Amino acid sequence: MERRTYLRSLGVAGVAGVAGCLDTLDGAVSGDDSRTVLSPSDDHPSDPPYPSHGDEFPSFSIPDPIAETTVSLDDFVGERPFVMTYFFTSCPDGACPALLLRLRRVQEDAAEHGYEDDIGLLAFTFDPERDTSPVLREYANEQGIDYEADNWQFLRPDTYEEAESLTVDTFGMALRRIDDDDEHEESDHDDHDHGEYTFAHNNRVTLVNEDGIVERAYPSAVLSEHAVDPETVVEDTRTVVGVE
Amino acid sequence: MRRREFLAGVGSVGVVAGAGAVAVYGLPSTDSLRDGDGEGDRYDPLEIETIDAPGSDAGTIQVPDPDQPTFVDFFGTWCAPCIEQMPALAEANERIGDDVVFCSVTSENVGDGGALSEAELVEWWDDNDGNWTVGLDPTAELTARYLEGGYPSAVAIDASGRVQWADSGVKTADELVAGIEQALEADAGDE
Repeated sequence: MERRTYLRSLGVAGVAGVAGCLDTLDGAVSGDDSRTVLSPSDDHPSDPPYPSHGDEFPSFSIPDPIAETTVSLDDFVGERPFVMTYFFTSCPDGACPALLLRLRRVQEDAAEHGYEDDIGLLAFTFDPERDTSPVLREYANEQGIDYEADNWQFLRPDTYEEAESLTVDTFGMALRRIDDDDEHEESDHDDHDHGEYTFAHNNRVTLVNEDGIVERAYPSAVLSEHAVDPETVVEDTRTVVGVE
Repeated sequence: MRRREFLAGVGSVGVVAGAGAVAVYGLPSTDSLRDGDGEGDRYDPLEIETIDAPGSDAGTIQVPDPDQPTFVDFFGTWCAPCIEQMPALAEANERIGDDVVFCSVTSENVGDGGALSEAELVEWWDDNDGNWTVGLDPTAELTARYLEGGYPSAVAIDASGRVQWADSGVKTADELVAGIEQALEADAGDE
């Protein structure tokens, strides 16, 4: 498998690349339509500053606090495509339930049409302080997600610092923590001991193929004029999985 | 992927959000929810199971109804703003509910082994003075079609199945009624 060897070496280079040589590397490998099933989307920005169509998805290794395992890109490359979103459970404006709804619809469709073992569903939280295992379980129940299914994994870094670094540096997402006394009046979640805060973040869903190449990074996937219908995410996922 | 440009901008969210294409798809602010896009979307009716609760009979309804306008409130029992909106829904139903199919739908897993039992849902409904049709969307198919952003979310569909109004967030009775009137007026215009 030439591809896997190549990806491994890229992963290693990627770590070193934080020091500054990533642009050269990316220039050599990005924007290649031959490695994707889906064509570039007309509606998305071309060459955006985050992993998008035709790019290698960045290497990661992040704990799953419910399964008590570590999930990494290598678990999927050569195995199965995955759909990923980025959220926090205390999300005040309904964007995060809407993001998770898109993953839930893929989970429902996969179970209905027998491709549940051929797709991974990853929900990454950048709020490890509040998103404890019990909180994540309760949230999954509320959102109708089968978190015990083999295809579902919550990803939660151990500390906020790690979460921020992954969000911003690795996944290329704007993230801003807002303390309550600045801009935010109230939160619906007052049953914790941490200070009240929220996040402004991009509402993105990323679809990555079996070779670790991004097929779609739906920018502003919810609550915007570029919002993507859940059914479009389902259809694109089916195409990438190869569901007849 | 313009990694260099991105790395240069990482220090400040403002810079990232202001950079080129990202400005178009920029950082969402919590108070800049779009209102009511998606007008004109049309789907075939889905059969929705309804439960036995105050104002609601066990059975099924078609959403959207093929013969008359349909109003749907998408809610969750976990959603505090949804509770907050219940009095406005009750008033809207009082004022205009006879002219449309007026219902609330949750995509929670209701029933044995689900997130909550049907009895718990009925109790929630009763506690919050619901007295109109409550439906279930166990696979979130209906919700996925019409959810306008987050919860609660409301949609008014005309008799020909076109979305005439949709918006998320807590609404007043006046706003809900005005949205529903758009569906009624669209049908009047068709005649």
